[in-house]
Amino acid sequence: MAHGLSPRHELLLYFGSVVAITFIHQPWLLLALLALALLASGRAAWPRLHRSVLAVLAFNLTVSLGYAAIALWQGNFRGDYLLLVNTRVLLLVFLGFWLVDRRNLLAALADWPLLRLIATLAISQIKTFERILRDFRLAFQSRNLKPPRMLDQTRHAAAQVHTLLDKSMASANDAAMAMRSRGAFDD
Amino acid sequence: MHIPDGFLSPQTYLPAYALAAGGWAWAARGLRDSLDEATVPRLAMLTALAYGLGLVMVPIPGGTSGHALGIAILALVFGIRSAFLAYSLVLLLQSLLFGAGGITALAVNALAIGLVGATAAVAVRKLLRRFGETLAIAVAAWLSVVMPGLIVGIVLGIQPLIAHQPDGTPLFFPFDLAISLPAVLLPHLFIGVGEALLTVLVLRYVRVRRWPMV
Repeated sequence: MAHGLSPRHELLLYFGSVVAITFIHQPWLLLALLALALLASGRAAWPRLHRSVLAVLAFNLTVSLGYAAIALWQGNFRGDYLLLVNTRVLLLVFLGFWLVDRRNLLAALADWPLLRLIATLAISQIKTFERILRDFRLAFQSRNLKPPRMLDQTRHAAAQVHTLLDKSMASANDAAMAMRSRGAFDD
Repeated sequence: MHIPDGFLSPQTYLPAYALAAGGWAWAARGLRDSLDEATVPRLAMLTALAYGLGLVMVPIPGGTSGHALGIAILALVFGIRSAFLAYSLVLLLQSLLFGAGGITALAVNALAIGLVGATAAVAVRKLLRRFGETLAIAVAAWLSVVMPGLIVGIVLGIQPLIAHQPDGTPLFFPFDLAISLPAVLLPHLFIGVGEALLTVLVLRYVRVRRWPMV
């Protein structure tokens, strides 16, 4: 992403790049663009690539293996298709993470104050929820040496939702009071 | 259920963005007037809750798992317009912060889950209210998952027809309707049951707290 651009222009540049990438159907060109993006990322390249691979791994692996199995069975397997689709997905996700690493997403919503307000409150809650769910998951794993039964998983999901609800309700009231005290709705 | 980046052709996602832009403009109209100091934090919290529910894995028979959406909760508490905008925000955050979903698929996901899912939930609840509130909410929530699943399955399944090389090799999602539709829809028949249970539970909480509902 270019330096010296405003958040809005950088967002537009990102959207333009995304659209352009989906019009490219030569896997080697996409690989070259991915290599270019890696080079331009500097020291952040490998951690970002690692994050991108983890984000796309499950779905892409499922689709790729499914395609390979069916195409081999039907006798029309094309390795360049797998290279094309996986490189494209990886490049798009890499660019998305690059944008978020460089720019505060909320700054890009500056022209829509109400949306930015809701997004700010939602993001702060999301961070809390992620911590709660990680704690739940780790606790559940530590209590189950063997793979848990479906009933146990269902109870675990219900307990997580119960906690999220309690937290949501309490936070909504806290946020309302905090916003009122700061005059968020006075205009 | 949402479609990830890179599997939709521009012939699909660009018109979807045009359609979604109209939907977002319609949803945003009058939003400022309908939200106040009590409802803005609630909408933000339920937006975060919808995001959080997306991280709670619901077990599906056969050893796999899916995740709840929370769109019925948003729609039944805040109405279709606010739910559509809030869920679009959830999808944007998921795609940019975690690479789940994606920018190219955002409009299709928002239309399928945020608009069709919310509309299905509100309409079915109104239609079935006379049979009892719990049943109406449960069926509404189930359909709010199944309908988007149907749309996502169809949109993915038509990709090989829309965008392919001269020899027929796909350029985006590789499976046709015969594979993609049952693969997406069947698990969501079960995920919908989990969503229905969650929605009934959440809306009981909402009622206890005396939040106004549509």
